[in-house]
Amino acid sequence: MIHPLTKTLAGVVALVVFTPAVGAENRTGEQIYKQMCARCHGAKGEGTKKYELPLVGDRSVAQLAHLIDRTMPEGDPDALDAEGAKRVAEYIYDAFYSPTAQARLHPPRIELARLTVKQYRNSIADLIGSFRPAPKPDGRTGLRGEYYNARNFQPKARLLDRIDPEVNFDFGKSGPNDQFDVHQFCIRWEGSVWVPETGLYEFVVRTDHATRLWVNDLRTPLIDRFVKSGSDTEFAEPIFLLGGRAYPIRLEFLKAKQGVDDSKKNPNPPAKPAFIGLHWKRPHRAIEVIPNRFLTPQRFPEVAVVSAPFPPDDRSLGWERGTTVSKEWDAATTEGALEAAAYIVAHLNELAALQPRDRDRIAKLQAFCRTFAERAFRQPLSDAEKAFYIDRQFEAAGNDPELAVKRVVLLVLKSPRFLYPNAGRAADPYAIATRLAYTLCDGPPDKELLAAAAANKLSSRAELLPHAERLLQDPRGRAKVHEFLLTWLKLDQVKELVKDKKHFPDFDATLVNDLRTSLELFLDDVMWSPNADFRQLLLADEMYLNERLAKFYGYSVAPEKGFKKVTFESQDRSGILTHPYMLAALAYESESSPIHRGVYIGRGLLGITIRPPMDAFTPLAPDLHPSLTTRERVALQTQPMACASCHGIMNPLGFALEHFDAVGRFRAKDRGKPIDASGRYETRAGTLATFTGAKQLAKFLAESEETHYAFAQQAFHFFVKQPVRAYGLTKPEELRKIFAENNFNMRKLIMEIAVMAALTAPDSPPPPRANPPR
Amino acid sequence: MPLTRSRREFIRDLGLSAAALPFLMNLPSLGFANQTQRKKRIVFVFSPNGIVPKDFWPDEVGENFQLKPILSPLEPFKKQLLVLHGVCDRIRGDGDGHMRGIGCLLTGIELFPGNIQGGSDTPAGWSKGISIDQEIKNFLQKNPATRTRFGSLELGVMVPERADTWTRWSYAGPNKPLTPIDNPYQLFNKLYGRAKDNQVLASVLDAIQDDLKKVSEKVDAADKRLLDEHATFVRDMERELKEQQTAAQNHPIPQLEPGIRRDNDNMPKISKTQLDLLVQSFVADFARVATYQITNSVGEARMRWLGIDEGHHTLSHEPDSNQPAQDKLVKINKWYCEQVAYLAQRLAETPEPGGPGSLLDNTLIVWTNELGKGNSHTLDNIPFVLVGGGLDFKMGRSLKYGKVPHNRLLMAFAHAFGHEIKTFGNPSFCRDGVLTGLV
Repeated sequence: MIHPLTKTLAGVVALVVFTPAVGAENRTGEQIYKQMCARCHGAKGEGTKKYELPLVGDRSVAQLAHLIDRTMPEGDPDALDAEGAKRVAEYIYDAFYSPTAQARLHPPRIELARLTVKQYRNSIADLIGSFRPAPKPDGRTGLRGEYYNARNFQPKARLLDRIDPEVNFDFGKSGPNDQFDVHQFCIRWEGSVWVPETGLYEFVVRTDHATRLWVNDLRTPLIDRFVKSGSDTEFAEPIFLLGGRAYPIRLEFLKAKQGVDDSKKNPNPPAKPAFIGLHWKRPHRAIEVIPNRFLTPQRFPEVAVVSAPFPPDDRSLGWERGTTVSKEWDAATTEGALEAAAYIVAHLNELAALQPRDRDRIAKLQAFCRTFAERAFRQPLSDAEKAFYIDRQFEAAGNDPELAVKRVVLLVLKSPRFLYPNAGRAADPYAIATRLAYTLCDGPPDKELLAAAAANKLSSRAELLPHAERLLQDPRGRAKVHEFLLTWLKLDQVKELVKDKKHFPDFDATLVNDLRTSLELFLDDVMWSPNADFRQLLLADEMYLNERLAKFYGYSVAPEKGFKKVTFESQDRSGILTHPYMLAALAYESESSPIHRGVYIGRGLLGITIRPPMDAFTPLAPDLHPSLTTRERVALQTQPMACASCHGIMNPLGFALEHFDAVGRFRAKDRGKPIDASGRYETRAGTLATFTGAKQLAKFLAESEETHYAFAQQAFHFFVKQPVRAYGLTKPEELRKIFAENNFNMRKLIMEIAVMAALTAPDSPPPPRANPPR
Repeated sequence: MPLTRSRREFIRDLGLSAAALPFLMNLPSLGFANQTQRKKRIVFVFSPNGIVPKDFWPDEVGENFQLKPILSPLEPFKKQLLVLHGVCDRIRGDGDGHMRGIGCLLTGIELFPGNIQGGSDTPAGWSKGISIDQEIKNFLQKNPATRTRFGSLELGVMVPERADTWTRWSYAGPNKPLTPIDNPYQLFNKLYGRAKDNQVLASVLDAIQDDLKKVSEKVDAADKRLLDEHATFVRDMERELKEQQTAAQNHPIPQLEPGIRRDNDNMPKISKTQLDLLVQSFVADFARVATYQITNSVGEARMRWLGIDEGHHTLSHEPDSNQPAQDKLVKINKWYCEQVAYLAQRLAETPEPGGPGSLLDNTLIVWTNELGKGNSHTLDNIPFVLVGGGLDFKMGRSLKYGKVPHNRLLMAFAHAFGHEIKTFGNPSFCRDGVLTGLV
């Protein structure tokens, strides 16, 4: 692997040789750069044909100086002494290398952005949802079960009501209890299901009898197997759902014959067994009984989920943003608008609160349309706007009010005022409300925020913070925070976790599913603990385990259902770094991978830009080096000079986790040799940090300003979706300080970020151009 | 998953993956897949509860035959008529006569064991196999030359809002019953919803462009580029919609009378509206296969417009000796026959687009029933009355077969489309091959 700084100066050697020697002490960094570096790297570090990559990056001056001293000029590093290297480093750092220098040369700006795909879907769902009741989650879990001692759901046969934590029953040949007829009874479960992330869910009902399942739309069943037919016992249907929301759900189970009642004719049939289970497959997860924590007996209203497919958003900078448009995107917004219009017309009486024979139907529909437009644009309509978006559409539709509603919905949802929440808007309170809501929830402002905007109470940090706190706690806010943590761990992109069956026969899809749950429970646990202390993510000495995981990883838990927090004892574990899901994700199928682990720690935690290798490499096969440990093999392969400049950083970070194999199990030895888990890191401050094992590594990272800086910057980009330096060249460092001053409380950091972004108006438009002089 | 059911069906019915949707603006072109080869169509019409044999079956065999009262509405189409007596539904197994009557009629195979208990016999579930209409549809949809937008349409009149063995006759496969659309507005939406949507969209495009211009003036010059780019896509859409509307002029969207209530007394109007939409679908070549299910097995239509207050199924149990009841049953069945005749008439008076002759010359109507006779629940001598020239059968005849399994007739329909299946449904009823004597 070749780093930019090392490949460079091969062609420059000659130049260096013929340059009259000038004492470094007499030259400025700029002079040295021009004489010894510019020919390959370009006058402003922009790169040349010889060496194309520009000299930009995130190393510190100290790190640069060290690197230049060791490797530059390429092929003749002795031509420049340490003092000269330091001066060059200082010069290029300030002139063009550092992100701040780059931001000075090419000032980033807050760009006009359309809604991202996620924001678009949330906006439609919330917009339509704003015309429905919005119950506050009451925290209860499970589903309400109604048990009927009859062949159908007749009220007088309802024998039993209870909350069931989950639906997974095997009744055998008996009834739910002794009061029930073993031949015929039926059960209806109702409530809502919390959906943690956006994606395609598969709901699966397993039963040997008749069943029906409704999800979100309670009028049309998602699964209709009320006619029991044949011997199938598993019924599955997919449905696309948005994360951070609860959807109404109803499940019916019927152990009885339908049609003609022949129970009198046929009084003593043999008893048949009966079972029923409500399962799901979350996106990219294994099938599981829907866990208790995702079920609630509370009834939430239906959600309008736009399913029109959209092209994915630009993620080239590591976070989704809406700064580009395409024909496909425009076509998708048309589909979305048509879908929404059809939905609204189909639910018009409910949404517009119309009575069947309303005399003032037209007036009510116009009022509904106006509110709809105002909520879609997240601000009140002026009279002229009302005339344009509402009145003219009703006029054009003649005496067909539903057509008028359709026209309004299409016009509003295709309007740039809806699609670009910030377009042409300065620092008015509605714009602030809009920015705050999208930053925290990827959705539009709620009623409280709009009311505050109307009262002009959104002009300062103090006024915004309580709203930020509320939105962060909102289920949609929580879902976004959760997604951020997964993004920070680089686990947001789909990746299948498959291991060598020969080495790890028990490491199957179910176990992986449990591991992911364990990790996500831990993340939420820290985030929503009173202090939300970032360092706990790295330092915690506990992990969530269920019985299956405990058995696999050699811990003991009480043999109860579900996940329990277990404290590590002897093993060298610490927080997310040693969570088996992370360790397994950052490993090969049968071997650990110090390089992948090191790259994650470097890029993800310390925020170092590590470019991919110039060529693709296949790792050395363990079989060909049977006597070498993984550490030794990696060291052997990455020894060459071309590899060393990056691997010199990554490998020693990853080596500290060598106590953990490809599935994240602790090991004392590798290939019969004791594990060497010693590692080091040359900090940006120029010091050398050393550590042995995961605990010491985690401690170093938890205390490192570099980690805090990187976390805060990543949070800013993830939540705001704009370049942080567009808000000021010193913003990243300010964020780090805010983070530190708040004892690394992640929630406070995110709220401060959101408030800061909300109060910063995008560059205001230039004054209208005067007529050009004649 | 789309927001409303009609759009979900719309996407599914297009036979396109959802991913293709945003790029699909030019729908009607899908409706005119093939203009060169002769089109062949088939429509299966269901009516329930058996018939009155003595007032249904012609006495004669061959080209010279008299129509009995029930079939008299088909007098104008006698030359395009083929009456098949002696075709029997021989499927046994789970389910009572009615359930097997409807569930095995187009599938030719047994029902699964299940939880639906009839008035007699063992309980049953859905059919174990695909129905012949879907088999033919799949065959036609596989070939680009015969592929149409929907392939098939499943229609009905007053089908109860209840999915069970008695209410379904068309199956996409084992355990996969298809729900007939009995609401003309829902059907209209399926056929023309998108075209209507595009009209509305086209009518607000100017306003959308104005809006973009106005907002564009308020943003920074660097940001204006993004909105300008956006505006070019809106102009593209405008052009595509215009092209589409030009292409669609050959087949204007029909007008549907508003406010048709879905209730028993409105059956005549619903039926006429549904049949009109079906004929228009054929003109637009939306589909080549259709099923038309009037009520359901054990259907209880009360034909008060004929002066009959009792439900059809209840009447059908009356013995042959109850003459007033038998008279009513004749009237009821004659009304069903009138629906077939109306369809035949509409097809006959509509010229085949892009070809010689009428739609009826290229369509075969198959009117059939779940039972041979209501009060005996027999599955022998199931009525099969064929109208139209679609499958090149030799029409204008009355034929009598000797207890042939109806599987052989179902195979004959497929063969007439060039789909030469060796068996259909339960293979043991297919041993003697395709039913002969039709061509």
